[in-house]
Amino acid sequence: MTARRPSPSTAARIAGSIVALGLLAGCATPPPESDPEARAEWDQVNDPLEPMNREIFAFNDFLDTYAIRPAAEGYRTVVPQFGRDRIHDALENLKSPLVFANDVLQGETDRAVQTFFRAAFNTTFGLLGFVDIATEAGIPAHEEDFGQTLAVWGLDEGPYLVLPLFGPSNPRDAFGTAVEWYGDPVDLVLVNMGYEWATWTRSGISGLDRRERMIDTLDDVKRTSLDYYASLRSLYRQHRTSEIANGHDRTPFSAGSSAGAASR
Amino acid sequence: MISRRPFLLAALGGVSLLVSPLRLAAAEAPADPAAAFISRLADAAMQTMVGKGVPDQERAARFRTLFTTDVDLVEIGRRVLGRYWRIATPEQQQEFLRLFEDIVVLTWSTRFKDYGGDLRHTIVGTVDDGDRGLTVSSRVERDRQQPIMLQWRLKRIEGGFRVVDLVVEGSSMAVTYQSEYASVIRAKGDQIDGLLSALRAKVSDLQSGTSAARN
Repeated sequence: MTARRPSPSTAARIAGSIVALGLLAGCATPPPESDPEARAEWDQVNDPLEPMNREIFAFNDFLDTYAIRPAAEGYRTVVPQFGRDRIHDALENLKSPLVFANDVLQGETDRAVQTFFRAAFNTTFGLLGFVDIATEAGIPAHEEDFGQTLAVWGLDEGPYLVLPLFGPSNPRDAFGTAVEWYGDPVDLVLVNMGYEWATWTRSGISGLDRRERMIDTLDDVKRTSLDYYASLRSLYRQHRTSEIANGHDRTPFSAGSSAGAASR
Repeated sequence: MISRRPFLLAALGGVSLLVSPLRLAAAEAPADPAAAFISRLADAAMQTMVGKGVPDQERAARFRTLFTTDVDLVEIGRRVLGRYWRIATPEQQQEFLRLFEDIVVLTWSTRFKDYGGDLRHTIVGTVDDGDRGLTVSSRVERDRQQPIMLQWRLKRIEGGFRVVDLVVEGSSMAVTYQSEYASVIRAKGDQIDGLLSALRAKVSDLQSGTSAARN
């Protein structure tokens, strides 16, 4: 199959020039070996490209303040909560094939079965996924992405990286995002059927949905932090680590709640 | 590895639930004292958070009481300042702890302030790590949203416990503050006074925000 999204050459070119600009800002200088504590901190923060990252972060923050967040606010104002929930559920359901693929690639059989049944229930009884009845029925949703799969396979995250538009990431997760961008099963089918516009619409709406759900959290972090960049870097990296480990942390817990549902 | 059967049973159980989607909230009586401690603390915090008609200053005062009695802010602050704690003068240490307390109180007392709905806190379990303290896992359920997973790190004190860290969805508050403040100190030429003045500015910022929002 050669189905691909239309080549986003303009976006790639813009992204390329931002990265190039950022590289001009240069790398940070690591502290000298003679200061082992500072050195340990440097390794732990894992951000040798900080000057470049901060430039891209500033660009993203500008874009967010004047375009993305206002759009998310608009979405929140125009579409009532009930509608937004239905849209969110439908988007999550469209992600099921991707989540399923990642469950399988990570060898998470139980989670793969859950994803399969969730999609089956929600697509049928849940009216094409607009109502997430599977969660009500005791099969909770979970997130998986290709970056996490690569992590499970043992790939190192690499240095912290802020991507233009996409925000906090690292080489591994950025590669994962790119693979999903081109390899999402639902999108491939849509493109093959000639509905390329639908994949772009879907991306746009998911972006709105994601940003809308983070309005309050991000506002709060921005308002209360001394260094928004450093806070988000730490929060992102910790959250990512826990997401990757979660498959194992949460298994006993979700098994417990499933058993609870079965006994009723 | 969990066998598939409990899940399939769950799926079938789920189908029967479709008929009556009313889920019974498990009445929860935490047997262990750590869980009881967290249950009480979280309930008090949440009542303060979503309490309507409470003036912001009153809200902050209640949080300060909670934080100074049940949370070990000195130990957290020390950890947050990390390697800089040892090179700080006693005066800098004292001022840092005072400002840090202000920041934490002001941050948490306004969180969820505009959230109109319910917050429900449920204990999931406790892990006792012996000398290294205890971890109580819990979750906060909000209306129509994914629950927030919390882990409370506790240390034992005479006749009870004190919170030494809160992990929200995998992110430790102490680690996040530590990383952020280290970054601020570095940006100010490794000067702790640089962090202190940034903290002072943020505290007055947040205070004016609170009083402005009060009008």
